[in-house]
Amino acid sequence: MKIIYSEIKKWLPDLKDDAKSVRDNLTQIGHFVSGFEEIDSEIVLDLEIRSNRADCLSYYGIARELATFYNLDLQIPEIKSFQFSESSIPITINSPDVYRIQATKISNLKNSPSPSWLIKFLKLHDINSINTLVDLTNYVMLQWGIPCHAFDLKKSSELIWENNQNYSEFTSLDGSKIKLSPKNLLITDSQKVLSLSFIGSENSSIDLNTTDSILEMAIYNPSRVRSDSRSLKTITEASIRLDKELDTQTIPLAFSHLLSLLITHCGAIISSQLLDIYPKVPSKITIEFDPSSPASYAGINIPTDFSLDVLKHLGCSIIKNLKSSLLISPPSLRKDLNLSEDLIEEVIRFYGYYKIPIDTPVDSQTLPDITPPILYLIENLKDQLLALGYDEIRSWPLVKTPLDKNAIFTQNSINSDYPVLRQSLIQSLKTQLDQYRRFKLPAPQFFEIGKIYFQKNGQYLEQNALAIYHYDSQKLESDLNLVAPVKGRYPKGRGVDSNFTEIILDDLPKPKKYLPTFSDSKAIELTSQIITLDANLNLDSPRDPLDLIKEYSTKINPKILWSIEIIDVYKNRYTFRVSYYNCDDKTAKKIHLSTFNLL
Amino acid sequence: MNLNQILIESKNKINSANTSAELENIRIELLGRSGLINQLFSEIRKAENPHKYGQQLNKLKKEVEILIANKSTNLPKIDNCKLKIVNSFSLPKVGHLHPITQTERQLNEVFKKLGFSFYDGPEIESDEYCFQRLNVPPSHPAREMQDTIYIKEPELLLRTQGSSIEARLLSQEKPPFKVAFPSRVYRNEKVNKSNHFIFHHYQGVVVDKNITLKDLFGTINLLFKTLYGPNVIIRFRNKYYPEVEPGVGPDMQCFNCQGQGCAICKGAGWIEMGGAGIIHPKVLKMAGIDPHLWRGFAFGLGLDRWVMAKYNIKDIRTLLGGNLAYKPNHL
Repeated sequence: MKIIYSEIKKWLPDLKDDAKSVRDNLTQIGHFVSGFEEIDSEIVLDLEIRSNRADCLSYYGIARELATFYNLDLQIPEIKSFQFSESSIPITINSPDVYRIQATKISNLKNSPSPSWLIKFLKLHDINSINTLVDLTNYVMLQWGIPCHAFDLKKSSELIWENNQNYSEFTSLDGSKIKLSPKNLLITDSQKVLSLSFIGSENSSIDLNTTDSILEMAIYNPSRVRSDSRSLKTITEASIRLDKELDTQTIPLAFSHLLSLLITHCGAIISSQLLDIYPKVPSKITIEFDPSSPASYAGINIPTDFSLDVLKHLGCSIIKNLKSSLLISPPSLRKDLNLSEDLIEEVIRFYGYYKIPIDTPVDSQTLPDITPPILYLIENLKDQLLALGYDEIRSWPLVKTPLDKNAIFTQNSINSDYPVLRQSLIQSLKTQLDQYRRFKLPAPQFFEIGKIYFQKNGQYLEQNALAIYHYDSQKLESDLNLVAPVKGRYPKGRGVDSNFTEIILDDLPKPKKYLPTFSDSKAIELTSQIITLDANLNLDSPRDPLDLIKEYSTKINPKILWSIEIIDVYKNRYTFRVSYYNCDDKTAKKIHLSTFNLL
Repeated sequence: MNLNQILIESKNKINSANTSAELENIRIELLGRSGLINQLFSEIRKAENPHKYGQQLNKLKKEVEILIANKSTNLPKIDNCKLKIVNSFSLPKVGHLHPITQTERQLNEVFKKLGFSFYDGPEIESDEYCFQRLNVPPSHPAREMQDTIYIKEPELLLRTQGSSIEARLLSQEKPPFKVAFPSRVYRNEKVNKSNHFIFHHYQGVVVDKNITLKDLFGTINLLFKTLYGPNVIIRFRNKYYPEVEPGVGPDMQCFNCQGQGCAICKGAGWIEMGGAGIIHPKVLKMAGIDPHLWRGFAFGLGLDRWVMAKYNIKDIRTLLGGNLAYKPNHL
């Protein structure tokens, strides 16, 4: 939700803080400001509004938040007084998804291109200007958070709200065709679809020649709107609001504001009754609230007077004084306030999270250990394998093909090439090995400890497993004999090859407790092949090979040196094997020749 | 374990070394970070008399160090005569943990000191534990096919958040408890350089009497300071999550611009680090825990971006894609 700083000041004339302070304070109280920029001499703040705060998808809602934070009075926009006639409106509601609708007929419209202030306002909210009437409906939606719609009476003589049974397609205002599904909430004239609940169509669109129109403002079943919007893959400013819980009691104020604006800017005359169909009147909520509870939750002193001031400012009313608590009724706008914890949060967020000290972690008293022993076994095995020189890898648990009929398939993975949960870690390790081979990584030895998945007797099961690879199968076997409690329990790989083996860990004996210590080591993101080159070095006298390795390793840039070793010694001749990475073949060869004086 | 026996075996091993490379291998096996003697030190608390056992271990360590030093000077030098070597000369191969495991262990270290246990739960999870018991309403967008990978819609899915472990923990254990748990989670997202459909969470849950936001803030502050050093600047702001009330968003001042605003923090000066809050009373109630008696906090952090920043990994796919490798000899 974007808000213009100067526009919010119209709602809060006494607001003194600059835009940056407003940004920081909005973020503190729960409306993260992810964007802050100056456009056309206006400061625009982009707010991330949480899904339970539909009221804040409007200037009205945000202004109410700031009014509470700064303890200011809210200035409601000027609304003209007007009279409705007795004339009826051709509207029929045939859907249970309509929660409240207000509508009226306006005539004598003098529609025109929008004035510059309105064009600028909408542009700053990324909305294109159409004409004054349409733009004012969008303006009111942004101000109050409730979408509204105008229908050209010449194009549609009656309006019916119904759930789709008969229509297959809908053409939106921009001309795109949308395939309709059963139950979609539609507005029709019994012949054609005039609008969806959240997007209008050419069939009823307002243009500069429109003189008579039906205006409506409605709130629907949010689940229906969400379902329609998602299934039809159409998201609009209206659907973003209507798919959340909006306040039906705000409609009269917002609708009156719209009519006021149309009378002022389009010369509209109200030519019918005010239709107000309100089948879903929300029941009043009451919450028992102890004014001292915010302090107990925050862990600091928060005066009870402050708690009561905040709730009062938010529009909560005290219904009854109980013994040690109060019975509070939240304002209808605040659909998120249902429990005492909701009110506690209100008080603490306005008091300021920043006032809560951050230097006291939770008591370090040790409670009974409830760690599952399998976790100790896993950590222990990892350390044992590290000591034997194995690298740990983590791979995708989803693979391309099943091993057998017991495999578990995903229903809807967007990565459809990998639809199967692995039944063996070796499936994943093979992919790892392919990668290492591609990069020509010398002498790979690695392991993974992770879950494998399968079906058994209609149940979906998972097990902890260990899989190991060593380029030398004999070494793999001798290494496994050193790893307790794997020793003697290692089957050969499941028909892959003898360089792999896999062990189910759930079946192994578990250590009582094993807490590894943290150690840090570097990981390298492989982006190029590892190039291995040999060099013979003839010396006048013998040297300790390890000293030689250390000496020559310092001569090569560590950013390209992967490994260096002496693989043979004959008399005073030392054969080096050096692996390079992060460079191409030519560079590696050039550096190699120069390092060992082979040019 | 008999320390005299270990000393005798160590002496035999050291004496059997023919080259300095072999001796170095033995040194690492006995005295290295993950070596035998360090492992014995880590189990010192299990001894009947830890103080005395510690003294004996120190004595053993010194003796082994002297044996290795003496052997090193006595090793025959390579002379001019023909020498055929069986083993190549290189620093011994040391295994490496995956960066995600390393980071998990670093976090575990913090919580171990705070007396936490550790926990796990299934990755194939039910709608009940992944959503319902965490107070996620039926209409929440996370439940839709676009966001969740289903095994059998709508009951079975691949867990979308580590909080499902929290739901299991709350229903399986009796308070009070303090528990931390790393987890692998799944979302139905296309894989690219910065997004993956498999990623990692690290979460913690404490349920006790009189738990407060102050406890939560102090715990998260300690965690961040351990990971990023004492000068890291943190703020806490209000944030909505269905499973907590009040909800909290911990942010860290951008390490790149020190709060001035840059491309990394998208101009905000702060980086969002996860979510937290006081466990919602409905969540406790659904687990059979009386919210009038017990209160708890929970927090969750996304691990992958931490790991990427820490290890300078630029492509998230690398973490699980086979492109990570480790230099063999700590060069």
